[in-house]
Amino acid sequence: MNIKINGKIVPITSSGDTPLLWVIRDELNLTGTKFGCGQAQCGACTVHIEGSPTRSCSYPVKFLGTKEVTTIEGMDDKITHAIQKAWVDNQVPQCGYCQIGNVMTVKALLEDTKKPTDKDIDNAMGGHICRCGTYQRIKAAIHQAASSLA
Amino acid sequence: MTKDNSEKTIVSRRDFMASSAVAVGGLFVAFNISPTMNRLMAAEAPAAPKMVYAPNAFIHIAPDNSITMVINKLEMGQGVNTSMAQLIAEELECDWTTIKSVSAPVNAVYNHTQYGTQMTGGSSALNSSWDQHRKIGAGMREMLKSAAAAKWGIPVAEVRAENGYVYSAKGKLSYGEVADDANKLPLPENPPLKNAKDFKIIGKNLKRIDALEKANGKAIYGMDVRIPGMVYACVARSNIDGGEIASYDEKAARAVSGVVDVVKFSDNKIAVLAKNTYAAKTGRDALNVKFKSNANDNASTEQWMKDFKELANKDGIVAEDKGSAKAEYNNSKTKFTAEYEFPFLAHSAMEPLNCTVDYNGKTAELWSGHQMPTVDRDTAAKVLGLKPENVNVHTTYAGGSFGRRASKNSDYVVQACELAKVYKKPLKMVMTREDDTHAGYYRPMTYHKVNIGLDDKNHLQAWDHHIVGYTVMGQSFFGDLMIKGGLESAVTEGVTESPYTFKNFRVEQTIPKSSVKTLWYRSVGHTHTAYVMETMIDELAHKSKTDPFTYRQNLLAGKPRQLAVLAQLKKMTGWGTKKAPHGRAWGLAIHQAFNSVIGQVAEVSIIDGLPHVHQVWCVAHCGQVVNPDVAKTQLEGGIVFGITSVLQQEITIKDGLVQQGNFKEMPVVRMYNAPVVHVEFVPSTDTPTGLGEPGVPPIAPAIANAVFQLTQKRLRVLPFSKGMKVV
Repeated sequence: MNIKINGKIVPITSSGDTPLLWVIRDELNLTGTKFGCGQAQCGACTVHIEGSPTRSCSYPVKFLGTKEVTTIEGMDDKITHAIQKAWVDNQVPQCGYCQIGNVMTVKALLEDTKKPTDKDIDNAMGGHICRCGTYQRIKAAIHQAASSLA
Repeated sequence: MTKDNSEKTIVSRRDFMASSAVAVGGLFVAFNISPTMNRLMAAEAPAAPKMVYAPNAFIHIAPDNSITMVINKLEMGQGVNTSMAQLIAEELECDWTTIKSVSAPVNAVYNHTQYGTQMTGGSSALNSSWDQHRKIGAGMREMLKSAAAAKWGIPVAEVRAENGYVYSAKGKLSYGEVADDANKLPLPENPPLKNAKDFKIIGKNLKRIDALEKANGKAIYGMDVRIPGMVYACVARSNIDGGEIASYDEKAARAVSGVVDVVKFSDNKIAVLAKNTYAAKTGRDALNVKFKSNANDNASTEQWMKDFKELANKDGIVAEDKGSAKAEYNNSKTKFTAEYEFPFLAHSAMEPLNCTVDYNGKTAELWSGHQMPTVDRDTAAKVLGLKPENVNVHTTYAGGSFGRRASKNSDYVVQACELAKVYKKPLKMVMTREDDTHAGYYRPMTYHKVNIGLDDKNHLQAWDHHIVGYTVMGQSFFGDLMIKGGLESAVTEGVTESPYTFKNFRVEQTIPKSSVKTLWYRSVGHTHTAYVMETMIDELAHKSKTDPFTYRQNLLAGKPRQLAVLAQLKKMTGWGTKKAPHGRAWGLAIHQAFNSVIGQVAEVSIIDGLPHVHQVWCVAHCGQVVNPDVAKTQLEGGIVFGITSVLQQEITIKDGLVQQGNFKEMPVVRMYNAPVVHVEFVPSTDTPTGLGEPGVPPIAPAIANAVFQLTQKRLRVLPFSKGMKVV
């Protein structure tokens, strides 16, 4: 099977039932995408499929077809850089394990909503768990990133 | 420092071959270590010998003048890779922007200054390294100055160090240009340390060194480690420890695509090894392992709590006895009893536990977020039948811990090594979220019974307190060292040695034998003791018709840290002049843990039958704050962690099985129910005290005290989702 990921078409050998997460991590060695729960409950494994944030732990790779996957390793654009700068400026990451998933969702949020309100952010980010409790800094960083892109 | 030469730590080229040498993040660091540094746990160890630390064990200055700090604490989110580097950098007079941090390998030179083993815990990183790390920075600075002076042929007094360079009338040299020469010099015995007023790096909001790589996916956690030829392993084991395997379907596991092998490696553990984690997990599940019946078949937390209540009516071991609490209780005009129930809790760090092992029969390499790397190494060596020096431990970033990685038995490292010993090829043992939850090492289930006697004016006359709960440190060599005469301070801390002035105050402790593994959990005993103390103090204030701030201030006379926190918190919130918005209430709590005092006011309403925390004001007295913004994150995060731990979470056991597995059964605070947290520090230049844990204890009682304002109900059964339903 071939999959399209981060702008390239690559052959994979994992079985079609294998969740995309494990293809990305264990077969393609792209380890920025994290395993947190395996049941789409924590958001750590979020990647983009055709630009939509998707929980890769619960997405069998065979459903991809020709759809393109983008992981954090493939994110190199103005919005992502603005998010990452805001993450550093606001001292967002603590252990950092959940943050890549958050960044992926925020990237999609800011593409759709140029100036999100607190409510927009709460709605967009409700699927993400951060055990270090960085939520208020994530929120502040999203506002900063949005302002810097305006 | 001592005059005993054996305790000197000097590096020179001549000594190089005899010295310890370790590879750190691609660097080769060499230094001498005194054998006297190799001590065991502090509880049994003699008073710490005065030591000189080889600066280049902690600081590597490259020819291009970039600096690598070797951090001897685990970066698990608390910011040590930044704050520990700040301590050294302050004295080193280097350019902060050229610094990176790497995790230390296992070596006695990196031992905790108080505990004689390499470890992170007890909210002690900055406190225990405050003098050591500044002296290391200062020592290296003086050596660099001396090396430059020698090069220039001038007295060292004519040399000045600043921002990564040494200057004199002869010109300017970078640290990188003189570092090699400097490392050959003897260590200065008493390098001068700065006064707080001259700090340029300590006390500043420097950005976390690890922030960008944690925002761009380049940070490497244990889960991300890949070694050549490695396979992934998932292990089947009985739900709570002890079950022996009765049967399993090896054929079904091997039929799963990607499965490489099935290995039974003990009476009660069997692994499936595969080309990827999913195949290993699917294969493991396909084994359909059945366990023989055992003593834990009927294990039930419901029954255990009933047992606890009966035990509380019997005599316990007296942990504290002031005045005559029992007699005065009997003499009191009004008596009442409050009973509190606390469940088991799982740490549930975001990164499920894992350990990568490369074992070839003669040596072994381990990779994980090691919180107690010396213990992990020595335990791994024992399992593998190797000498400790033949086991090399690599510490990666940890995706959280909250105490779990400081496993007193190195349980998950042992599991990976037991498997590696049989399999003998590189492997990564991975726990799924459910495996992680089921593996035990919980915050102990605990029950408090408090008999309160009031006088005719409804003032406190007697406080008679019995705590029944499972051990924290027992079931391990830590317990053998730390539990004296049956008394375990980790069970009673926060009730015993209370800063409040009580006349008649008695604390008893009973620790029943547990068939479940228990462990410290962020803020340890304070997770429940602060709740009981601070809700009861609030209750007593209410009964005596005294404002909760005033009531506490009256009982805390002579406690300057507590009084300073209360005064600042009152000013910050406007307590007494301002009020919570309609439908909301404020609750106050203050607690001392790990030598820091934290006060919090929570603004709470009830939404869908559960407390909802809108905002929290938090004042901390923790001595000198090394990085205020990073310090704030510890309190913000501690508060969110504390809310999660009391809102809906519990681990229950029925018929020997843990009832929870994934986050849907253990709801976690998310962005939409996380409060806005406002943090202030009491200004201080005292030695820093703990901050990773002390933010947790006050939040639960602060919420409960606000809930009382809203409902006139005292929540005594945790989590709140249960307590709110108690009639």
